[in-house]
Amino acid sequence: MDAYDWLLVLHVTGAFLLIGGAVVAGVFNVAALRRERPSEIALLLGLTRWAVVAISAGLLVTLGFGLWLVHHVGYGWGDAWIVASLALWAASGFLGSRGGRLQRETRVLAERLAAQGDAPSPELRARLRDPVAMALSWSSGLAALAILALMIWKPGA
Amino acid sequence: MLALVRPDSWNLPLFLHVLGAMALVGAIAATAIAAGRSQESPLLRRVAFMTLVTVVLPSWVLMRVAGEWINSREDIRGTPGWLDVGYIVGDAGLVVLLVTTIIGWWSTRRPERSWPARTVTALASLYLVALLVAMFAMTGKPGA
Repeated sequence: MDAYDWLLVLHVTGAFLLIGGAVVAGVFNVAALRRERPSEIALLLGLTRWAVVAISAGLLVTLGFGLWLVHHVGYGWGDAWIVASLALWAASGFLGSRGGRLQRETRVLAERLAAQGDAPSPELRARLRDPVAMALSWSSGLAALAILALMIWKPGA
Repeated sequence: MLALVRPDSWNLPLFLHVLGAMALVGAIAATAIAAGRSQESPLLRRVAFMTLVTVVLPSWVLMRVAGEWINSREDIRGTPGWLDVGYIVGDAGLVVLLVTTIIGWWSTRRPERSWPARTVTALASLYLVALLVAMFAMTGKPGA
């Protein structure tokens, strides 16, 4: 394996962390949507912390080794697919962090309600189904998928 | 560097293959996490089982079918080691996943027993490691 192979392996590892982590978060969020008891919702949303670690690491690793690959291979820094990928990377990170913050607030509410009798709450139900939080998180995931498509098709390269 | 010059007709199957593999890695990790924490709530056994049925197995199918699709497009001479690793992890993995799913279903039926959930955690973690080895082999193509 030469330097290019190693850089590609590390870059792809970052992409697996990023999108794999998004799938983990999606699984536990969808499971939480189907529950009513605050303690169960808090437990499921708490498990997404594993996903946040993977997504954060994936974002950093894909960017670092991606930039290194562009330099190593000699792609143009102004190539449309590279510029678009960087813009989508920033958008994915921003949208994901905003959506994650709203979900963290939902988890904190669920933990508080669980400690106060664990009765189903209309407020918690509404927070879980907040269209803004859902749109932010799903948009972040779609941006990551769009980056994957750009990496494979490399339009204009 | 040859990987940089890829016919356009390979792109869609490659995209679907990689997408399936990424979803499979995330879903099997979620299964391992849910089963591993299931002593906190029986709910997590059901989450692990439902993740296996609704995400892991469909992702495996996408990864495997798209992998065969791109293999039919590429003209690979012989059977290089990196491709062998992919096939072994893919095909043997189906057996592991089916056994894991059956034990996962059993764990939801027998909440008083801890071994089914522990077995699901172990098998899912083992398969996650195997998938990462396959990812390394198929991306870096060592020996090619």
